[in-house]
Amino acid sequence: MKKPFHPLTFWAIFTALAVAVVISDSVVCAALALGGAGFIVLLNKQDGPWSKSFQWSLVAGIYLLSIRAITGIIIGVPRPGKTLFEIPRIHLPTWLPGIRIGGPVTWERLSSSLHEGLIIATVIALFGAANSVTSPHKLLRVLPSRIYQLAVTMVIATSVFPQLISSISRIRSAQFIRSGKKPTITSVALPLLEESLGRAVNLAESMEARGFGQSSQQSRYRPIHYSPRDLAYIICGLATSIVMVAL
Amino acid sequence: MITFSRVSLIYPHSTTTVIEDLSFEIQEGEMVLVMGHTGSGKSSLLRLINGLVPHHTGGILGGEIIVDGKSTRTTKPGELAGVVGIVGQNPIDTFVTDVVEDELAFGMESLNFPEDVMRKRIEEALDQVGLAPLRQRTIATLSGGEQQRLAIACALVMHPKVLLLDEPTSALDPIASEEILAILHRLVHDLSVTVVLAEHRLERVIGYVDRILLIEADGKSSIGIPSEILTLTDLVPPIVRLTRELELADVGTSTREVRRITEDLRNNLPEYERPRPQQGEQLVEISRLTAGYEGFTALKKIDLLLHRGEITALMGRNGAGKSTLIKSIVGLHKSESGAIEFSGLPIQSLKPQERSRRIGYIPQEPGDLLYLTTVADECARADKDNDVPAGTALSFLKRIVPTISESSHPRELSEGQRLALVLAIVISTSPELLVLDEPTRGLDYEAKSFLMRELHRLAREESTSIFMATHDVEIVAEVADRTVFLADGEKVADGSTLDVLLASPAFAPQVAKVMSPRRWLTVGDVLIASESTGAL
Repeated sequence: MKKPFHPLTFWAIFTALAVAVVISDSVVCAALALGGAGFIVLLNKQDGPWSKSFQWSLVAGIYLLSIRAITGIIIGVPRPGKTLFEIPRIHLPTWLPGIRIGGPVTWERLSSSLHEGLIIATVIALFGAANSVTSPHKLLRVLPSRIYQLAVTMVIATSVFPQLISSISRIRSAQFIRSGKKPTITSVALPLLEESLGRAVNLAESMEARGFGQSSQQSRYRPIHYSPRDLAYIICGLATSIVMVAL
Repeated sequence: MITFSRVSLIYPHSTTTVIEDLSFEIQEGEMVLVMGHTGSGKSSLLRLINGLVPHHTGGILGGEIIVDGKSTRTTKPGELAGVVGIVGQNPIDTFVTDVVEDELAFGMESLNFPEDVMRKRIEEALDQVGLAPLRQRTIATLSGGEQQRLAIACALVMHPKVLLLDEPTSALDPIASEEILAILHRLVHDLSVTVVLAEHRLERVIGYVDRILLIEADGKSSIGIPSEILTLTDLVPPIVRLTRELELADVGTSTREVRRITEDLRNNLPEYERPRPQQGEQLVEISRLTAGYEGFTALKKIDLLLHRGEITALMGRNGAGKSTLIKSIVGLHKSESGAIEFSGLPIQSLKPQERSRRIGYIPQEPGDLLYLTTVADECARADKDNDVPAGTALSFLKRIVPTISESSHPRELSEGQRLALVLAIVISTSPELLVLDEPTRGLDYEAKSFLMRELHRLAREESTSIFMATHDVEIVAEVADRTVFLADGEKVADGSTLDVLLASPAFAPQVAKVMSPRRWLTVGDVLIASESTGAL
C-alpha cells in the first residue's frame, strides 16, 4: 500500500493555490489550477464517501458560473464595448441610479461576469479537491487537542450527510412501492427523523461508553508525521502559487 | 462481578415499570443470556450494567447495581469504560472513525493511553477476532459479520471485565453468527471475561450459555441454568420444544445431549418424509438476470421461477446478493441484463400503481412505510390508497394480532406488532406476489409464529406467491416449500426446502441436526412421524 500523505499537505497546497488564483485574478491561472487539482484528485483517489466532494464542488461551480453569467447579462452596470445582442430594457425609477435591467449586452460585460464567476468557482473546486483527497477523520487526527472535541462533533455532523441521503432514498422507494404514488415530504420525514435520532443516540451512547471526554488529554495512535515527500509537494505548490501571482 | 440488589426501573413519562425488584449476581467468567419477549426490557437491563441507563437515558432507578465493586449510581458510563464494554444492536451506528485501526484506538485515545500500549492492545484485539488482514480497511466496506467482530474488538481493546452484547447475531447469517459465538466462548473460557448477551434466536446461543436470566411480561424475572429456566417459559428453541412435545423427561440444550436422549426414537420411528407441495401456476420468470452497483456485480445470470401458492425462501451469506435480487423483483433496482417477467409480461411494463397492487413488498425496516399517528389512521390511509373498502386493512390486522390497540402510535408498537401492521397494509390489496426482506429480525418466537401462520394462510388459501429473503433457518424449515441458495451472486441451490437444508450442515435447522440421518426438519415433522404409528 502507498504511504499516505500528511493530511495537511493537500490542504496547504490547495489553500495556497486558491489564494494565488484570487490574487492573480487571471482566467489562465484559474484554469491551470483547476486542471492541476483534477489531476491530483485523480492520482489520489480514495474510497470514502468524502472522495466525491471534488465532483460535487465542480457541479456547484458550474451552477454558480451560469447564475453569475445570467445575472451579469440581465442586471448590471453598463460597460461600453462591442455589443453582442440587445435585450429589452426595464426602466427603473430615477431613485435607483446606476442599476440597469436589460439593455445591450456587450462582450466586455459578459466576459467580465464569466471571469469573476470562474474565479469563484475555481476557489470552491480547490477546497472540494482538498476535501476529496483528505479523509476528514484523518484531518481530525492532526488537529491540536484543544479543538479536538469540537472537531469530533464537526466530523460526525458531516459524516451523517451521506447516510442521510441513502436513508431518504431507501424510505422513498419503499413508500413508492407501497402505494405506487410519489411519497410526500411528511411521509418521508417522519421515519427519517426517527431513524436519525436513533442513530445519533446510538453513537452518543457508544462514545460515552468508550470513555470519550473522560480525560482532559488525548493520546494519539500512530501520530502522522511530515515526510520529506510532503515537504517537497508543499514547496512545489507554494512555488506554483508564487509564480502565478508574479505573472 | 455484577450484583443487582432489588433493582427497579421506570422511564420518564411512563407509568409501567420496565424492571421490577430484580436481584441476582453474576460471577466472573460466566456467560449469561438475557431472554424475554420483545419490549420486555432486555436492552434496558444491559444498559443498566454499564450505567447508560439511567445516566444517558433518564429514568428512575431503585435499588443498587454494583459492577466490579463500583455502584453505577455514582459512576458514570465513561468511568466504567475500562471495566464494561458494550456492543449495540447496530454496530455500524456506533462507529466514530472510518478505518478499522483508528476505530480500535478511539476509546484508548480518549483515555490518554500511551502509544506503545495502544499498539500492543490493537494487535491483540485484531487477532482475537480475526480481523488482522483488514486493519486498514474503510469500515463502510466491511460485511455485517466483520462489523460485528470489529465492534467486539473495540470493546476488547479496553480489557473489559464485562462484555455486554445486544442481539449480536440477529443481522448475521448462520455461519457468521457461529464465528461470533466461538469468539465469545473463547473469551469466557480463556480470559474469564463475563459476558451478558440478549438474543432472540435462542437456537443459536443456547448451547453456549451458562445461565439464563428470564424477564417475563409482568416485569418478574428468574435466573438459573438453561434446563431449569426453559421449563418456565414458552420462548424455547426448537430442540427444547422437541423434547417437550415428545414428553421426554430430560431437557437438553445442545444437539449432542438431545441426540443422546432421542436415540431410541430416531432408530424406531417409521419412515416419513414431508409431502412435496404441488407447484402452482408460474407467476414470475427471471431469466439470466445480471445486476450490480458501480463496478461490482451482485447477481450473475440468475434464472429463477416463482409459482402461485408457493413459499420460496432465499438464503445465502451476508453480501451474497439477496437484497439485490429482492430489489430487482419489486422494481427498485435496474438490472444490467436479463429479464423479469410477471405473469407473462415484462415487469417494466406494469404501471407503478398496478405494480404496487399486484406485488406486495415488506422492506427490511418495516417502519419506513409508517408515518401517521395511530394504527387506525395507517389502516384507513392504506384502504384509501389502495381503493379497497374501508376497514379492510384493519380487519386483516385484527386477524393477525387480535390484541393490537387501534389507537396506539405505530412507533410505540413492538417489532412484531409493527411488522403485523405493515403486513396487513401490504396484503390488503391481495397482491399476487408478496416479497419480504429479512422479516424475522428482532422478532421473538410468538411474533414469528403469527408471521408463519399468516404466510401459510396466504399461500394456501389465496395462492399468493411468497418470496422471502432470510437468515433464519428455523422459519425456512417451518414454512418454505422451496429454498433458493445464493453464493457470491450465483444461484448454487434451488430445490425443495428439505433437500436444500439437509444438504448443507451450516444451514441445517436444529431438529435436523438432532434427527440426522432421518429427513425431518421441524418438530412438526417428528410429531407426524411418531403419530403415524402411535408409538411413543
